[in-house]
Amino acid sequence: MQGIAGSLARSLERKALILTVVLGCQVLAAMFFALDVAGDITDAGLGWHLSIELGATLALAAGVVVGAIHVRSLIERARQDQAMLAAARGAMGALIRARFAEWHLTAAEADVALFAIKGLDVSEIAGLRGSAQGTVRAQLTRIYAKAGTTSQTGLIALFMDELIDPTTALEGQGDHG
Amino acid sequence: MTIALPKPPRNWDPVVKLTHWSIVAALLANGVFTEGGSWPHIWVGYALAGMLALRLLWGIVGPREARFSAFPPNLRQAMAHIREIKAGQVHEQPSHNPLGALMVYAIWATLGLVIASGIAMAGLPPKAATHPDHAVEQAASPDEDEREGEESPLAEMHETAVNLLYVLVVLHLGGVIFETRRSGRGLVLAMLPGRR
Repeated sequence: MQGIAGSLARSLERKALILTVVLGCQVLAAMFFALDVAGDITDAGLGWHLSIELGATLALAAGVVVGAIHVRSLIERARQDQAMLAAARGAMGALIRARFAEWHLTAAEADVALFAIKGLDVSEIAGLRGSAQGTVRAQLTRIYAKAGTTSQTGLIALFMDELIDPTTALEGQGDHG
Repeated sequence: MTIALPKPPRNWDPVVKLTHWSIVAALLANGVFTEGGSWPHIWVGYALAGMLALRLLWGIVGPREARFSAFPPNLRQAMAHIREIKAGQVHEQPSHNPLGALMVYAIWATLGLVIASGIAMAGLPPKAATHPDHAVEQAASPDEDEREGEESPLAEMHETAVNLLYVLVVLHLGGVIFETRRSGRGLVLAMLPGRR
């Protein structure tokens, strides 16, 4: 399962890749024009026309530099997103481990609880674990009892509640309403 | 119930990959397929120069591990790295390892020699090079026969540098294979296209 951050990082990487290909073509073009202008100038000296051509070539070269810097920033943003996602995942994993230990879940219950937190329903969990739906239902009941909640939504909410700080979660959204 | 957090595998950025494989392709093309002195040979050489220039630019403005500052040429560090290899220690390297760095600079310098001698021979008149017939004629004209008898110093330099480059490429491949077996890291994967 890939969340929003994962796909954001991927789309940034895709952009960086496309820009890199464009950058490569620009370098080849700059090379071509630079050689062309250099050859023409050695042949005919620097006239008006060639001055402009030379300027255009230098502009292209500058474009290459700016493009490279832009590609770098895209790559760095993609990496930042990935690092953030990894940090969030690590924090979430630690929180889940801590809570499961606190509730004294058995290994089988912990497995089922993890699937439940990921949003899978009884039949899906039974399918994944190769057990009967009745077994999973009984396990879920025990998990809810140990966690002090009554439903799957309640179980998920226990974790969301701790992870989300409402004062920071809606930062920057104020303009919309 | 462990939520594994595998470290993201090392992966070179797209510019490093593009320049690396374009230079490989250009070397292969000019070493195997094009005829020395012919216009495709010359233009592939110019393209190679462009890709090398992009990589060098990337060494200044690129992300940290692609920058020169991440792998300075340093003999002492290279010696220390050899000692580590002997001691069987494996350290995480964010960029090229110190020995690999020396190889990188050696390959770039040799490429520079190849390009410089090539341009010195082919010259800058793109008018000649862009008109296929003209360039090929030129290459096949007395110039060529003359060279067969006695090679010009530039041609000799070009060829020597290319041969040196082949040696370095073989060493580079050997180094990659050795380091992959030693540290088990996805050294090869890191340079392959795509994301892992």
